[in-house]
Order: sequence, then C-alpha cells, then structure tokens
Amino acid sequence: MDIYLAQLMNGLVYGMLLFLTAAGLSLIFGLMNVVSLAHGSFFMLGAYLAFAVVRETGNYWLALLISPCLTVLVGLVVERFFMRRLYRRGHLDQVLLTFGFTFVFFDAVRSIWGSDIRKLAPPVSLEGSIALVGGMFSTYRLFLLAFGALLALILWAVMEKSRLGAMVRAGVDDSQMAAGLGANIPALFSGVFGAGVALAAIGGVVAAPVLGLYPGMDGDILIPSFIVIVIGGMGSLRGAFVGTLLVGIADAFGKAYVPALSLFLIYLLMAVFLLVRPQGLFGIKGGVAPAGMVVAARAALSATLRVKVIAALVLLALACYPLLVPDYQRTLVSEIFVFAIFAMSLDLLLGYTGLPSFGHAGFFGLGAYTVIVLGALFGLNGWTGVLIAVPLTALAAALIGFFCVRTSGITFLMLTLAFSQLLYSIAFKWRDVTGGSDGIGIPDRPNIFGWSLSEPIVMYYVTFGFCLLCYVGLRRLIASPLGHAFIGIRENESRMRAIGYSTGLYKLLSFTIGGALAGLAGGLYALFNGFVSPEVLHWSASGDILIMVMLGGAGTLLGPVLGSAIFLLMKNLVSSYNDHWMMIIGIIFIACVMFFPGGVWGILSSRIAGRKPDSPPRPGTTPAEGIASGDKAPTGAAPGASMTVDGAAR
Amino acid sequence: MSTLQIEDLYRSFGSLVVTQHVNLSIGAGERHVIIGPNGAGKTSLINQIGGQLRPGSGRILLDGVNIIGQAPEQVLRSGIARTFQKNNLFFNLSVIENLRLAVQARRGNGLQCFRPARSLTAIMSRAESILAQVKLDANGSRAVRELSYGEQRQLEVGLALAGDPKVLLLDEPTSGMSPAETAGMIELVRSLPRELTVVMIEHDMHVVFSLADRITVLYYGEVLATGTPQEIQDNERVREIYLGARH
Ligand SMILES: Nc1ncnc2c1ncn2[C@@H]1O[C@H](COP(=O)(O)OP(=O)(O)O)[C@@H](O)[C@H]1O
Ligand SMILES: [Mg+2]
Repeated sequence: MDIYLAQLMNGLVYGMLLFLTAAGLSLIFGLMNVVSLAHGSFFMLGAYLAFAVVRETGNYWLALLISPCLTVLVGLVVERFFMRRLYRRGHLDQVLLTFGFTFVFFDAVRSIWGSDIRKLAPPVSLEGSIALVGGMFSTYRLFLLAFGALLALILWAVMEKSRLGAMVRAGVDDSQMAAGLGANIPALFSGVFGAGVALAAIGGVVAAPVLGLYPGMDGDILIPSFIVIVIGGMGSLRGAFVGTLLVGIADAFGKAYVPALSLFLIYLLMAVFLLVRPQGLFGIKGGVAPAGMVVAARAALSATLRVKVIAALVLLALACYPLLVPDYQRTLVSEIFVFAIFAMSLDLLLGYTGLPSFGHAGFFGLGAYTVIVLGALFGLNGWTGVLIAVPLTALAAALIGFFCVRTSGITFLMLTLAFSQLLYSIAFKWRDVTGGSDGIGIPDRPNIFGWSLSEPIVMYYVTFGFCLLCYVGLRRLIASPLGHAFIGIRENESRMRAIGYSTGLYKLLSFTIGGALAGLAGGLYALFNGFVSPEVLHWSASGDILIMVMLGGAGTLLGPVLGSAIFLLMKNLVSSYNDHWMMIIGIIFIACVMFFPGGVWGILSSRIAGRKPDSPPRPGTTPAEGIASGDKAPTGAAPGASMTVDGAAR
Repeated sequence: MSTLQIEDLYRSFGSLVVTQHVNLSIGAGERHVIIGPNGAGKTSLINQIGGQLRPGSGRILLDGVNIIGQAPEQVLRSGIARTFQKNNLFFNLSVIENLRLAVQARRGNGLQCFRPARSLTAIMSRAESILAQVKLDANGSRAVRELSYGEQRQLEVGLALAGDPKVLLLDEPTSGMSPAETAGMIELVRSLPRELTVVMIEHDMHVVFSLADRITVLYYGEVLATGTPQEIQDNERVREIYLGARH
C-alpha cells in the first residue's frame, strides 16, 4: 500500500477526531470568551461512558447515542451551576474553574475505570478492511472520516443557514447584537456549551476504538485542539476545520518521517502562526486582549503592630519547627519552601504585572534539568549548577518573553503554554541528555558549609533561607518604582503607554525576573529531589502552580506562599490515606475560584488586620504589599470588568 | 513655524472615513479648540496624534519632526500628552500614586528597583504639586474609583500634565462635570503656562468661547472651518450646519 496514502489517511482520521473537540472549543470560546480546559475531560468522559455502555449491552451504536447525552448532562451542570456565576468575572477565573474540573473528572475516571489502558472494539459491522484507490483501508477509519465530515457539514449548515446559527454568529461578534436579534443569551450560552460538549463526547466515543482509553487522554486531545484553534482562528468553524486537517496531517507525517521532532512540529506551527497571524487563518476574535484579566485589586493597609507580631511569631515557629519533627515532615516543608518560591515568581507575572502565564513550569523545569544534567553528565557541583541555571533560565525567559509579551490575554496564555510544551517535548525526546520519560538523577547532593543537603534538616534551613530571601527581594522590588510600574501595567496598560512607559520592555523585564526566580526554584528542587523527569515541565504542572497562586491570593506575596503550603499539605495528607486527592483538590479549588476570588490570604489578611473581609466581588486586600501611598487604605475590590480606552485601536 | 502641524491626514474604518485629508496648523502657546458634532472624528484625530491610532496617510509634525509611527509612549516623550474622553485611569490605585507613576515615567525613574518608590522625594513632591494644581489635594490618598466623576476628569488632566508636555491634548475635559467643576476646569486651563500649547475638544460653547484663541470645526472627518472665535461665529457654513440648530 502506498505509504503516503496511509499517512494521509492517518492524518485525516486524527484531524477528524481533533475537529470534533476543537469545533466545540472554538464555538464556546468565540461566543462566551471562555477557554474551557475541561473540554478534553468531556472527550474522555464520552469515551469511558461509551466503554461502560458497550460492556453492559455489547452495542456500540447504543453507546454512541447514550454516552454523549449523559456527557452533555454533566456539561450542562458545569455550565449552569458553576461557569454562569463567573460570567461577569475575568476570563482567567473561568479558565481556572474549568482547570479545577479537569482534576475532578480525571480522578473520577481513574477511580471508576482504573489507570490501565482500555480497549473499545469497533462495532462488528465495521470490522475488517476495504480495498480503495491503491490500498486497503480499515473500514472503521473510513467510517470515521465519513461520520466526521457529515457532522462538520451539519454543523456548518446549522451555523450558516439557520436562525439559531445566525444568533450564535452574531453572539461571537458581539453578545449585545445577538440580544438584539432576540436571542436569550443565557440559553444561547448553555446551548452552545452543551453542543460543544456533545461534539467532544461524540469525538471521544468514535476515537476510543482508534486511540484507546486512558486517564490522561483528556490532555492529549485538549492541547492539540488548542493549537488547532490558534492556527484556525478563534471562534471560526472553518478555521477549526482547516486547522485540524493541517495539524492532523502534519502530525501523521511528522511521526512517520521525523519522529524525533514530531512533538515539536505542531507547537512550532502554532508559535509561528501566533506570531505571523495572531488572529488565526479565519480569526474573528483574534488578537483581542480581554482586558478583564486584571486580577484582584490590591490596595494597602498600614502594617500594624499586630501584623508585625504575628510575622515574628510565624518566623520563629518556622525556624524551630524542624527541631521538633521527624525527617519526613522536614522534607515536606522544604518542598513547600521550594514551591513557595516558584509560586511567588509566577505571582510577579500574574498578580503584579497581569500576565497570565500558563507555561511557568517551563522555567522551573529548565532550572531543575540544568542542575541535574550538569551534575549527572559532567559531575558538576549542585551549587555551581544552580549558579548556571538561574542566568540560563533568565536568558530563556527573555527569549520566550520577547515573543509572548507582544500578545496579551488568552493569546498570551496559549503562547506561554505552547513554549513550555516545547521545552517538555525537548526533555521528553532528548533521551541521551535528559533520560527521556525515565527522567534523570544525580548520585549525591552537594554540601553547604560542610553539611550535606541530603540531611533533611539542612535542606530545610537552606530552602527556608532561599524562600525568605526571595520574599524580601520581591517585596522590595514591588515597593520600588519598577514594581509600581508593573502594577500600573496590570491595572491599565494603555494608560501606562500614554504616560510614557514602554510597557513591552517592562513586561519583558517582569517575565525575565519571574522566569529567573522560577529557574532558581527549579534548581533548588533538583537539589531537594535529586531527580527530575519531564512531568515537572508539563502544562499541568503550570496549572498546579497557578492553582497555588490563586488559592492563596494573587497579587500578594504571602498568598502564593500560603497557597503552595495548602496545596502540598493537602496533596500529602489526603493522598496518604485517600487516593482521591486530585478530586478533593479539584473541588476545593473550584470552590475557591467561585467563592473566594481573593484567595485564602485575602480573607486571612483582613482578619489579621482586624477588619471584616470586604464584600464581593473581590474580598480581601493585602497589608503593606500593594501600593501604599497614604495611610488611609482604599479597601475592597477591583471590578472584574474591562477597562477600555476610548477608540484606542491601532 | 507652528508647534503642531497636521498635513493631509487621512484615516478610515472600513468605509467610514473619520479623518478626511485634515490640515491644521497650531502655533506655540495657542489655545486651540476643536468642535464638531458627535462622531465627527475629533477623538479619532486626537488618537492619531497621541499614537493610539495609526493614520492611513499624511503627516503630523511636532516642531517640524514627523511623529507618525511613534508609539504612544514615544509620542509622550516627544512632548505631547493627552487625556481621554472616557476616564482612563488606574482606578484601583490612590490618586497620588496615579500621579507618581506618571511623574516617575517622565523623569526616567521607572526602571529603578533598589529603593522604595516613596523614598524618591523629588518625584513625590512633583506629584504633590500637580495634585494641588488639579485641585485634588484633599483626595491624594483615596482610591480613584471612590472619586466623583468630575474629580476623575480633573485627575485625567493631572496625569497628562505630569508628562511635562509641550503640547497638551484634552478630549472633552468638562464632559460630565457640574457647572462649578466646569468653571474650575476653565480656571485650570487658564492658569497653565502661556507657552504650553493646548488642543482641546469641547462641546460647551461657553467653555469654547472663554478659552479659545482659535477654533476648528470638524464635520464628518473634514475641517469645515478654522479661525478665530469671531470668524467661526460669522462663518455661514458653520452656522448652517453646526450652530444652525441654535437658531
Ligand atoms: N475603533 C473604531 N472602529 C470603528 N469605528 C470607529 C472606531 N473608533 C471610532 N469609530 C467611529 O468613527 C467615528 C468618529 O468617532 P470619534 O472620533 O470618536 O468621534 P467624536 O470624538 O468626534 O465624537 C464614529 O462614527 C465612530 O463610531
Ligand atoms: Mg469623542
């Protein structure tokens, strides 16, 4: 059989599967301005529910009917009872909410069906192969192509020809306009969300016989779907279609001819498209920057004596703690210190400069790999490794930042994600150096003043010291003119430019400093763990650190520290007696996004200062960490609403 | 030579032409008021001078140097500061912090990162003097979003003044203001140094005629007339089209 034809076939089939997820994702984004990270989960849910139905009834066709219906029900619950409450908040909150759901669904699927790869046989009537133009093709794959094309056609007809479609298209341009056409916006949103979920679930069902079922298949379809949307243009059905074919075919030929590069190929495709044509091939909503990304308002309140006393007590407790506890607790808290540095570094971008990076783990991982690889391959001392890792990640962050800071909002989020996945691919593929998926380790830890870091108590004080240093350094940075400029950019970038700031340069600086600190955290992690594998670079690691920051309270320094402590303690405590820590973290996180948008620190700090938490939408503010310009503190809340400039379009 | 010279400026949004081959010449220290009905393209003109909107063609000369293609921050550094028709401030920060940010940008201290911002006394005292100039001295430590709309308009002007401009562009500074606040704004503009060139968009005819040295009337993106207040009042076409509604 013609090998090209076979690859083309593979590409088309994969493209069709992608299309089913990407089309829904794209419509949802276009209409509702929400990037639903849970979309891959619906794909997975669809597949597993079909698996269950087939096991009960033996009937694939019944599964194709029942599974999407059930999945849509789940999807509608998510939309109606969770997302709808956040429509008036920033887009980042919604992205994070759906990220919380990926935990819940992942854990649900894993605990019901296990972590092993499952197989779903294609229906009997579609087994075997058919001879067609110069080759034998699997009947099921041909069916997939025809089925996908049919769905695409139906979707196209609905969107272009029906009144409903007109409303959706109008809504993509402007929800006000859709309302003018008589659309009931909440119903329209639910409908489109449901339809998107249905498409994803159908995709999951028909994909199952080809791709197999495993927890984690959600991310494996989600990320390529993103790329499709970026390439095709957000909110455009035609773009999603062309994008899937491009990505599908590029992926199939990449795997066949340049397997070493196949993972990059599509990320590179995406990065190139974002730079050359940020609005995508057929973009409707392209490079628009959702200004609603502004994270909570942070105003100041004078550091009272009470705050100082509490701070001193906490420091004292932390300093004595390792003397009183066994090694495993010292180790746990050391890990918290490392991740606290990581979380603070992200908060500099996210909370202070308003840059929603979804790829920050890339820099953490780069720092960790630098230390371990230099140690394992060249026998370099760990401290020397850290000394090299920090400037190296700063350089990488400056390079990557150069491309990323020219975009904003969702595009920025996706671009940082793509770059970090690129680093992930390198770690994964460059086996000789990184050990590939097995990871790589160093035989022993370095010393400090003659004490070995392999002693948990030494590790504790070292990480504690670095964490304190970072905290103090960042605090000074934020109080400096430069830090105030970062906050100004977060608050209102267009005005910053009008009063004379080259905001691109400032954002690049913030990105570079944040990247370098993440690299430091990664380097310390390498010393702490002695081992590193590609997971530390994975996009879900970037998601975890985002959770820590948001959980504790973005736009504050102690918030991220607290957030990482809560996250890691929970992960540790819950996972020691219960396998469902992901589910629990997911639920807690969803609750936090929904009810405590200022984070735990937002609530705590107002308590410590002896004030009631502020009323919604944004509870809490920070003591002495925001901009203090007078002694009367403006308390309370940033409107999640966007701040637009009169006619300021270029 | 005129301070601000606009030559054959053209810009459209799709089929809508908002700036139709506009020519304008504004001298040093002139108080130039642009009037015209809503949608005439006044804000679009300011956006093009300020670098927020890229012109289709034409030239904008500041002291003979073409500034087209400069980003907003470069335009400010060249000496043109602007306000916005719709308040465009740092709403969650305090009033003094708003001004401090603008002053530190102009003084080139923005990249400093080793000292607390509040310890830079030169910047702080400049911010405070602007605070007094725009009559917000009593409100320095309040969050901007707690100010009244009119007070926010005053801060708009303050932020622009903090840029130490040669040319100040004011987009409807008195819109939404009470009569008392409007009178305050007139007084503020009057009190500006005489060598500062001011280009101002304004609807309130009382304000227009009490401040303008010269007036330009924009109509559907075109300059209908330019001249002294007297010439504009006497202009037949202006009376017909623009002031006509008052007869
Ligand atoms: N970014 C834009 N895209 C499309 N049309 C615009 C844009 N900005 C302004 N316009 C249109 O250009 C015309 C002139 O607007 P503007 O300059 O704001 O007028 P004015 O300030 O005189 O009221 C209006 O009809 C407005 O709707
Ligand atoms: Mg206007």
